[in-house]
Amino acid sequence: MASESAIELRSVTKRFGDVVALDAVDLEVPAGRIFGFLGPNGAGKTTTIRLLTGLARPTSGTVQVLGCEVPDGAADALARVGYLPDVPAFYDWMTGEEYLLFVASLFALPERTARERAAVLLEAAGLAGVRTRIGGYSRGMKQRLGIAQALMNAPDLLILDEPTSALDPIGRKEVLDMIVALKGKATVFFSTHILADAERVCDEVAILDRGRVLAQAAVDELRSRAGAKVALEVAGDAEAVERVVAAAPWCRTATRSGARIEVQASDLAAAQREVPAILAGAGAGLVRFETVEPTLEEVFVELVGKAS
Amino acid sequence: MRGFRPFLVKELREVARTWRIWVLPSIVLFFALSGPLLAKVMPEILRSMSSEQLGGAVIQLPEPTWRDAYAQWVKNLTQIVTFALLIMLGGTVASEVRSGTAVMVLTKPVSRTAFVLAKAAANALLVAVTTLIGAACTWGVTLAVFGEAPLRPLAEPTAVWLAFAALVVALMTLTSVLVPSPSGAAGLGVGIYAAMTILALWGWAVEHTPAGLLGAPGALLAGERPPLAWPLATTAAAAVVALAAATLVFSRREL
Repeated sequence: MASESAIELRSVTKRFGDVVALDAVDLEVPAGRIFGFLGPNGAGKTTTIRLLTGLARPTSGTVQVLGCEVPDGAADALARVGYLPDVPAFYDWMTGEEYLLFVASLFALPERTARERAAVLLEAAGLAGVRTRIGGYSRGMKQRLGIAQALMNAPDLLILDEPTSALDPIGRKEVLDMIVALKGKATVFFSTHILADAERVCDEVAILDRGRVLAQAAVDELRSRAGAKVALEVAGDAEAVERVVAAAPWCRTATRSGARIEVQASDLAAAQREVPAILAGAGAGLVRFETVEPTLEEVFVELVGKAS
Repeated sequence: MRGFRPFLVKELREVARTWRIWVLPSIVLFFALSGPLLAKVMPEILRSMSSEQLGGAVIQLPEPTWRDAYAQWVKNLTQIVTFALLIMLGGTVASEVRSGTAVMVLTKPVSRTAFVLAKAAANALLVAVTTLIGAACTWGVTLAVFGEAPLRPLAEPTAVWLAFAALVVALMTLTSVLVPSPSGAAGLGVGIYAAMTILALWGWAVEHTPAGLLGAPGALLAGERPPLAWPLATTAAAAVVALAAATLVFSRREL
């Protein structure tokens, strides 16, 4: 890949009349990564993708895709990009194979390469031997064909807009496996609001809310930024223990349910050190001490909750 | 014009494999084949009506000739086929944008100029081939029915109408880019056509603008020599301007 960053957005703002869809967004997606673009519905994910694919122009700021300025240099960039919109639309009168060969012709692929690649991708999409016209496909079949067409040019950058949202659990797993299989071969940029998908396959994520990037980091780093969660089960006066724990400098939040206390700790080591002393001071015993790593979903909810 | 050729090939295949192959060719061929027969039998139908049905009036009609058959062809081209084109071409660009298929294509290395011009080229080709086949059918049936079918009186009006049809294709490409709904685009096209027919009432416009081509096919068939140089030149210019405007507007449009 020519550029170190597959995608680079600098101070990108996009307005629709009075509505600010993207507000001074800075985003950098390193080449070769599987990058999750997370956000609730209406956060601006699809708008960002429309800017990346040259379908829309930023109101201000610059967008670079594979080193090409977009939309002015979109044609050069798009030759190396595969794109799947959230609801892919096809020519209903074509068969799946015909559509892939049509896509190959748009990329000017040699006929032999086109036929070979179409056969491999149809097989991978579970559509080999399907002679039905696309008009007769189910939504899941269309989504799988959409992924196949996005891979026809063996792209350096694959942009997927909510690729798993229309799929059943098995279809979802297959798509995620396919994304993982592309690791090291291409950069994958995919938007989703299904956080478990992002957690499963992404090296790095950005969280977008109301047109602003709230965070961009590796998944593990985001989790550690959020701090650890400690679950205590106490024998004795749990209420007194909760009060002392809540006052500790490393405690962000403490919530009690009977003898069980959940603590959001900013410094896990300090919590591990001080909790036994707190229990001893309160004359309580320790039944269970468990550290729980926050999920991406918890990080997401915390960040988006703070922003709103 | 990156992507023009493969997209044109797709457009032509789409014509062959969807409803588009049936609509325009069916209309043109129906009138091409039935026109000469209707010209032949119409006087006899009228004569067969009793004088009582006509309130005692007696109809004197000359024997029909090849000219009547050609008149049917020209009348159908300039009226029914023109309207069919206006309606049919309203979705040229709008329907692909609306359905989302345009987004799938335009996120590949295909320029928007190529997208628009390939569509216009495919439509122009469909109209030209259909019209030429229709004219050939009219000629053949006229020869069979009337025993005489000179080529030039058929070829000249057909060629002039084809020039006008090229303008219709270009204008409908533009309206289809300007108006997001296919029916809205067709409505705008009908409005422009209505404005041209009004313009055709003005002598100067008939001599110098595309409005002159509206009545020219009939005049040529009648053996007149209507002014054609300026109307043909301005028609060509208007078609080029319409296509240039369509590509410019579409290139700046956010999808």
